[in-house]
Amino acid sequence: MGKADKYDLYSVEMDKQENGDLDVKIKKKQKGVKKKEKLESMKREMDIDDHELTVEELEQKYQTSVTKGLKSSVAADILMRDGPNELKPPKGTPEYIKFARQLAGGLQCLMWVAAVICLIAFAIQCSQGDLTSDDNLYLAITLIAVVVVTGCFGYYQEFKSTNIIASFKNLVPQQATVMRDGDKTQINANQLVAGDLVEIKGGDRVPADIRIITAQGCKVDNSSLTGESEPQSRTPEYTHESPLETRNIAFFSTMCLEGTATGIIINTGDRTIIGRIASLASGVENEKTPIAIEIEHFVDIIAGLAVFFGFTFFVVAMVIGYPFLRAMVFFMAIVVAYVPEGLLATVTVCLSLTAKRLARKNCVVKNLEAVETLGSTSVICSDKTGTLTQNRMTVSHLWFDNQIHSADTTEDQSGQSFDQTSDTWRALSKVVSLCNRATFKAGQENVPVPKKIVIGDASETALLKFSEITIGNVKEYRDRFRKVTEMPFNSTNKFQLSIHEMSDPLDLRYLLVMKGAPERILERCSTIMIKGQELPLDEQWQEAFQTAYMDLGGLGERVLGFCHLYLNAKEYPRGYNFDIEEMNFPTSGLCFAGLISMIDPPRATVPDAVMKCRTAGIRVIMVTGDHPITAKAIAASVGIISEGSETVEDIAARLRIPVEQVNKRDARACVINGGQLKDMTSEELVETLKMHPEMVFARTSPQQKLIIVESCQKLGAIVAVTGDGVNDSPALKKADIGVAMGIAGSDAAKNAADMILLDDNFASIVTGVEQGRLIFDNLKKSIAYTLTKNIPELAPYLIYITASVPLPLGCITILFIELATDIFPSVSLAYEKAESDIMHLKPRNPRRDRLVNEALAVYSYFQIGVIQSFAGFTDYFTVMAQEGWYPLYCLGLRANWENDKLQDLEDSYGQEWTFSQRLYQQYTCYTVFFVSIEVCQISDVLIRKTRRLSVFQQGFFRNKVLVTAIVFQLCLGCFLCYCPGMPNVFNFMPIRFQWWLVPLPYGILIFVYDEIRKLGIRQHPGSWWDKELYY
Amino acid sequence: MATFNEKKTCSQRMENFGRFVWNSDTGELMGRTLVKWVYISLYYVAFYLVVIGLFALALFSLMQTLSPYEPDYQDRLQSPGVTLRPNNFGEEGLEICFNISEPKTWAPYVSTLHSFLSAYNTSLQNATNRNCEHMTGYYPKKTFSGPDDTTYSCQFTREMLGNCSGLCDSNFGYDTGKPCLIIKMNRIINFCPGNETDPPSVDCTATENGELGEVEYFPSNRSFPLYYFPYYGKKAQPNYTNPLVAVKLLNIKNNTELSVVCKIVGKGISSDNPHDPYEGKVSFKLKIET
Repeated sequence: MGKADKYDLYSVEMDKQENGDLDVKIKKKQKGVKKKEKLESMKREMDIDDHELTVEELEQKYQTSVTKGLKSSVAADILMRDGPNELKPPKGTPEYIKFARQLAGGLQCLMWVAAVICLIAFAIQCSQGDLTSDDNLYLAITLIAVVVVTGCFGYYQEFKSTNIIASFKNLVPQQATVMRDGDKTQINANQLVAGDLVEIKGGDRVPADIRIITAQGCKVDNSSLTGESEPQSRTPEYTHESPLETRNIAFFSTMCLEGTATGIIINTGDRTIIGRIASLASGVENEKTPIAIEIEHFVDIIAGLAVFFGFTFFVVAMVIGYPFLRAMVFFMAIVVAYVPEGLLATVTVCLSLTAKRLARKNCVVKNLEAVETLGSTSVICSDKTGTLTQNRMTVSHLWFDNQIHSADTTEDQSGQSFDQTSDTWRALSKVVSLCNRATFKAGQENVPVPKKIVIGDASETALLKFSEITIGNVKEYRDRFRKVTEMPFNSTNKFQLSIHEMSDPLDLRYLLVMKGAPERILERCSTIMIKGQELPLDEQWQEAFQTAYMDLGGLGERVLGFCHLYLNAKEYPRGYNFDIEEMNFPTSGLCFAGLISMIDPPRATVPDAVMKCRTAGIRVIMVTGDHPITAKAIAASVGIISEGSETVEDIAARLRIPVEQVNKRDARACVINGGQLKDMTSEELVETLKMHPEMVFARTSPQQKLIIVESCQKLGAIVAVTGDGVNDSPALKKADIGVAMGIAGSDAAKNAADMILLDDNFASIVTGVEQGRLIFDNLKKSIAYTLTKNIPELAPYLIYITASVPLPLGCITILFIELATDIFPSVSLAYEKAESDIMHLKPRNPRRDRLVNEALAVYSYFQIGVIQSFAGFTDYFTVMAQEGWYPLYCLGLRANWENDKLQDLEDSYGQEWTFSQRLYQQYTCYTVFFVSIEVCQISDVLIRKTRRLSVFQQGFFRNKVLVTAIVFQLCLGCFLCYCPGMPNVFNFMPIRFQWWLVPLPYGILIFVYDEIRKLGIRQHPGSWWDKELYY
Repeated sequence: MATFNEKKTCSQRMENFGRFVWNSDTGELMGRTLVKWVYISLYYVAFYLVVIGLFALALFSLMQTLSPYEPDYQDRLQSPGVTLRPNNFGEEGLEICFNISEPKTWAPYVSTLHSFLSAYNTSLQNATNRNCEHMTGYYPKKTFSGPDDTTYSCQFTREMLGNCSGLCDSNFGYDTGKPCLIIKMNRIINFCPGNETDPPSVDCTATENGELGEVEYFPSNRSFPLYYFPYYGKKAQPNYTNPLVAVKLLNIKNNTELSVVCKIVGKGISSDNPHDPYEGKVSFKLKIET
């Protein structure tokens, strides 16, 4: 499809506003606008007419000279006016907004509300003249502190990963050759201004949008703009009215592949085409991450329960006869007590632990919440080049001696090599080595061959590396066969030849070697070399050649033919003047040596990774700008199209029937190219996506990528997109999780993405999926653990209100449970190994498999939490009774107990207590209640290790962090209890040892009960028990 | 997430909620059918019965371990608290503040003392408690067992308070500016203050450079006789009454506020716990206006 069609869905509207800012709007346009109209609108939108101007007009427009360039002073002025030539990072998220975002998540909002409620309650108490208790104030301050501290932590985490990404950006400042004041100098590319005369050559990145003035064989790769890596030539001629189509403009950030060119810069920085696309992407709003949705859902549950509980007890308090304001304070206290203060910290730490783990595996996560998104992913739309493949042409097959040989295409040359004993191979390798203009860059002696940097185009590079590996030092080899003359490849001849002297000084013949398009080479051959013998090239061999050529071409590989000819020493003696222009030497009747085919081979790890995705229930869809045949071949070799899967066309070919007669449902696989895609409605696309599980999209434009992503999302899938070019950035942004390539990726892609693969390796995505799923499971466990203790923290207060017992558990003590002792164990659950092979399960259904579901909340709150509460109360009543206050005597005692004017309150034995003595007794109760919760929480953390398996199956001590956490929890508990000074600072009392043991039976009960629950779930999947009790 | 992440409108939310409350398609009420609700309710009833049963069992066995005569531990009752009568609390604690010429300012104090001392009426004490004045040293050591093992208590009668008994001066000196205050020490089971020869005694002083003037104590040795100690608990000594010491302030400078602290001095009684102002001592403000 034509390039002009690619911008049919999104167009850039740029209005110069008064303050000079560009106002970029994205406008979704109707498909099917007439091409001419589109082109016209394009032209207007792109606002570029420089390609239509003559050189003189250009000089005038930019006050420059095509021979001397700009004056330095003028350049400095323009630099002042336009700013440096670099893409501005997308504005919109200043640091303070990023920080504010950290403070405004679902849980954070809950805590803000709770803090405000606390302050209101405190104000009510103050207004009533009750100055005895500052608990509400402390609570409010703590809540705010927790939000702010975790906010800082999260911000720091994201800041760090942003830095990792940013560090890639400015690793090597780009240099550009520029002509100023008539002198050629090298300056940093960001110093360039419009009107500068710059020079580009093969291997350079085009430093800005350039109108070409002169060019010699200049070719550019516009893949960063269009996604297609087909080299396009650049010449000074004006060939098309569209600036995107015309050949005399080279675009910022595209690669110059070969040749040289000079040109005048017409746009710099954000005003370049690429800059506009990049800013366009930043207009697409990010989707909410699945985990954020889950947390909101969870907050809904919590808030609902809190208000329900609060209201119930408000009514109860009113009925009992408390005054309205007092009941109101109770209501607020209950609502606040429901807020799991520690959860925010737990979630943040768990996510950042996983982020860290991912970073070690080369996935850098920009947004902490994106850690989990990959785990929920059900469709991956993967780019081909660089992600699935190694992004380097490599020799994959050879055909000689009438046989197809496979070359080693692995990255580390660990594969099998082919038989190299044949004489034909010797001849072929000679042609390959000699008829090649590519050379290694100097000074790379210690670099392994595949990693060496080569000057030359992709095919020649592949061949050079191939010969270096198979026959050894190519440079030395070439030196022995001194090159006399050569003729580079051109598109009319479609071949390349060179003439060499023989290495043997006695052999005075010249050797002519040629390579090129196979059919053109074959035309020029009269013989073929088989097993070292030159045989006449008869019909039989021609047919053999055709078969081989078709086979290799069918693999989606680029095929080249090789031939040679020993020139007669008498006709062409030493010193003969070979003239390329005149062709005064034979170029036909050569001897055919063989075919070599090349491909950008898949990365070694990819087939395995694709397989893992498949078993994990994730569809991998290939979306590439490459040819359908190549795309299909790579898809087949990496397993995106699995073995035995056929496309409609394959079935038609196999059954020898027309394509129309094939039942489309029989075809598992489907290859769609951009042209076909253009003619499909979105319903058809969705239908196709549903019908064929294995999809390959070839020759797609960036906009089509976006459509594909949207269609997948319409199917309810959570879509991950990988990409590297600027053109991918809208799709990356649209995706639920955009994954950009760290090495090959453009800045725009990295900015749009949520995650960055530092090694560009698809296999890293699988790691991400695994970690994402694991963290989802483990977060579930952490949350279940954290929620459980809410009930034993709340129940004392409820009993205090309704039964008027002395307060069994204080506010500060609760905060210590939430924010000190229980944090480490809940975080340690993030280290729990997966229960089953999570990579063999289907991705979770975002509508059904919630992070916190009803079963989890109900089981935690109303079963385990209740047991824990009873444990606490048992311990509480034990302490009270053993110190002289019988349980029944405690009921209704509150008013006297809390009366600080009553210094001789009688206990059950007739002893008289002062207020302080009662207060310290109350602290003792706090402490034993605390200890009871701790002991039960140890049991709780053990049962939370698994949701289905028995803890014994999972291994009691396998999670070392968890064991450490339990020990830590106990030590911290002991420290709080027994450190001198604690009673008056944090209201912890040194309690008797046996009171630690009172809750133990309840702990055992929790453990045993949960084991029974899990046993039932394992034994009777799908039963009522399973449905009600599995979370 | 185009399909399920769309912003829901309020009416959609309400509709969803409505469907959650009653889903007519599946006959589900709040996400469960009626039968399922019955099942889950029964399950929870059973669950709670079991847990509450265990809790009751735990409390029952706890009560079985307790002695009815003395508590297992007295960790908080290392030293007795001291209280004052009349116990009128002002902004900063105990406060005795009255105007001699205005009887209604001191009448509450007088009535507090009268009602407090009514338990010490001689007739009542004679009826329930034994006179121990002949005893020297502590109350005999005893152990208690069985369900109703009790012992006698020593009587403390109002007469022992002399001028502060309220018998001869029913206004306890408040009308003359020589008020009586009664110091009581809190009961602690098995606690023996002082030692064999030296019973705990009361000592009142003015703090903050004030001058307390002449003080008269009743009983005159200003001490709590040893035979009131130890206390054996409500069960063993159902009629036990705390011994008292009355303090009569004879020479108070009128119209000035005075801070007074009355300590009980004796072995085993500490009065320097910074966290308990009523342990071993009682402080109060005194102001007599004319």
